[in-house]
Amino acid sequence: MPKVLVCYKWVLDEQDIKINLGDLSLDSSRAKYKISDYDKNAIEEATLLIEAHGGNVDALTFGSDKVKQSLKDALSRGPGSVQWIGDAAFEQADAFVTANVLAAAIRKNGTYDLILCGEGSADSYNQQVAPRLAALLEIPAITFVQKLCMDGSRTIATRKLGDCTEVVEVEGPAVISVLPEINKPRIPSLKQVMAAAKKPSQEIKLVELELSADDIIPKTVSVSVKGYIMNRKNILFKEASHADNVAKLVASLAQEGLC
Amino acid sequence: MSEEEKFDAIIIGAGPAGAACAYVLAKEGKNVILIERGATAGEKNVTGGRLYTYAMELVEPGLYKEAPMQRKVVREQIMMMSANSAITADYVNYDFGTEVPQSFTVLRTPFDEWFAAQAEEQGVMLACGILVEDLIERDGKVVGVRAGDDEIYADVVVAADGVNSFIAQKAGLRDDISSHAVAVGAKEIIELPSRVIEDRFNLTGDEGAARMLVGGTDGVLGGGFMYTNSNSISLGVVLSPEDLARHGKKIHEILQDLKMHPAIYSLIKDGTTVEYGAHLVPEIGFSGMPKKLYRNGLLVVGDAAGMCMNTGTILRGIDLAIVSGVAAARAILANKGASDVGAAYMQQLEELQLLPTMRLYSKYHEILSNPRMISTYPNMANEIMKMIFGVDGTLPKRIDKAMLGIVKRHVTFGQIVADGWKGFKATT
Repeated sequence: MPKVLVCYKWVLDEQDIKINLGDLSLDSSRAKYKISDYDKNAIEEATLLIEAHGGNVDALTFGSDKVKQSLKDALSRGPGSVQWIGDAAFEQADAFVTANVLAAAIRKNGTYDLILCGEGSADSYNQQVAPRLAALLEIPAITFVQKLCMDGSRTIATRKLGDCTEVVEVEGPAVISVLPEINKPRIPSLKQVMAAAKKPSQEIKLVELELSADDIIPKTVSVSVKGYIMNRKNILFKEASHADNVAKLVASLAQEGLC
Repeated sequence: MSEEEKFDAIIIGAGPAGAACAYVLAKEGKNVILIERGATAGEKNVTGGRLYTYAMELVEPGLYKEAPMQRKVVREQIMMMSANSAITADYVNYDFGTEVPQSFTVLRTPFDEWFAAQAEEQGVMLACGILVEDLIERDGKVVGVRAGDDEIYADVVVAADGVNSFIAQKAGLRDDISSHAVAVGAKEIIELPSRVIEDRFNLTGDEGAARMLVGGTDGVLGGGFMYTNSNSISLGVVLSPEDLARHGKKIHEILQDLKMHPAIYSLIKDGTTVEYGAHLVPEIGFSGMPKKLYRNGLLVVGDAAGMCMNTGTILRGIDLAIVSGVAAARAILANKGASDVGAAYMQQLEELQLLPTMRLYSKYHEILSNPRMISTYPNMANEIMKMIFGVDGTLPKRIDKAMLGIVKRHVTFGQIVADGWKGFKATT
């Protein structure tokens, strides 16, 4: 029975972030946090796998000291336990640091049959953590996954490549990064939320990971983050259902601070 | 029904009533689940308001000191507005804010989230993002709730699900809302630097002002309110939906006109509207409450029970919600494991002075529903002020005669007597 790990990031909800039109700075003072969208897909996929094959799924996250708030939501989505590293170092962390921290935490726990991540995070969308994690753990990485199956120790993944799809097979442990179309994350039910309250969570202190100072110094430093204004947006909402179009329109306007 | 899934109490709605009830029960070791439809407690709330701390003291003495309050109210103001003028009565008392009686302005989103988190720390299981769809009944008794495919059970279910209480309707305790039993409110939160607010309202540090607005609603029955928060102003109107329809007006237009009134505009100018919300308010008071607030296995608290009051000088709702939550908790605690705690709940509502207070003000709604209260008298008072303070070099009229002339233009003698008598009767 597979032993699956899913990594997620606790990010500011981009819908709550407003762009100040004057200096294009971002106003996140009213923003709430959420589990990064694609990571919700990763959690759902991990949960679907163990629902189909048995086994168990654990969750792992690295975030700021606020990341503890995410545990209940994460656990209500399926994982049987969660480990979290909440540290101020997260504020400056780039994909290099995040991958180092996650890999060290994973090594502490032993091995997993599969490690699932979202293709990229909802905030910086570097698409780096999954491949870096695979490199550090010396196992294969499969990216852009839109379909995932397990057959014994083999994993079969369908990758989306522009207009084509590629089916790949891997034997043994691997890191998989998933695309949003792979599934529709569940809305946790009452019983799932209740069960989450009883599931174990464990804090791992950054120092316990025995990383060297170099490992937690970011290679890439964010100099500034600014809003980007296009002359014309030319956004067309072309969903089949008008309700979806309206919802997308309103979300888009809210993001611009226009409603 | 497996025993491990049975709670001592299921509380629906993590607003002030639900959180207060859950907190008190969990503190006494009860196994409580607090179910909230929003992704977080407070997410669905748009009430701008104030909290009287006596209610929080019933939950846990001193707890309010840790709450995310905005400003302690030391200035109580009533503003009578006419088209281009206003009279403001400003009562300031610097003893307010040191001990009860005291009140703080609050923003409900952070406050509710904080309050629910306090309940959680006491051991309450907080389940957010869950919509309770139905009550489960056995032999005429409420035994649990249903959400999606899930069913959970409890000795007592507490409906704290707000003004348009779906649960109270499901239980047959109240009908679907009718337009005369509720008011509709619209509110903006307008951000301004805290120093600007302090200068404009004559405040120092964390002091705050609460202002009732009479008139200024384009002749539509209702009124307005203004609360100073730390770095924003809550400005809103609460109006009769029937009268809005009668006047063919929209609530957001009236709020916009109010913002543009010169006596209001100067207080909010250069501010940024950061939040706009509209909501139903169970404003009618005692007569708007369901005839019965309980069934076997079910208690109704807070806005769901219509516990809200407009005395003409202050609006109360959040404190009543908290008190009713405490009353429900005490009734449950006093009757270990029993489901039929309705009578005990009613007794608690009497002892905590909630029902006596609501009865005392029960006739106020009628007075405030008199169109003369929201346009004729404010206009008349403003005209008298103009007469008194306006100097144009001509020979002034004798004040008594001039005043009588103004009064006669606005109302008949009979109306004054009738309104005065109603006011006298309502307060005695």
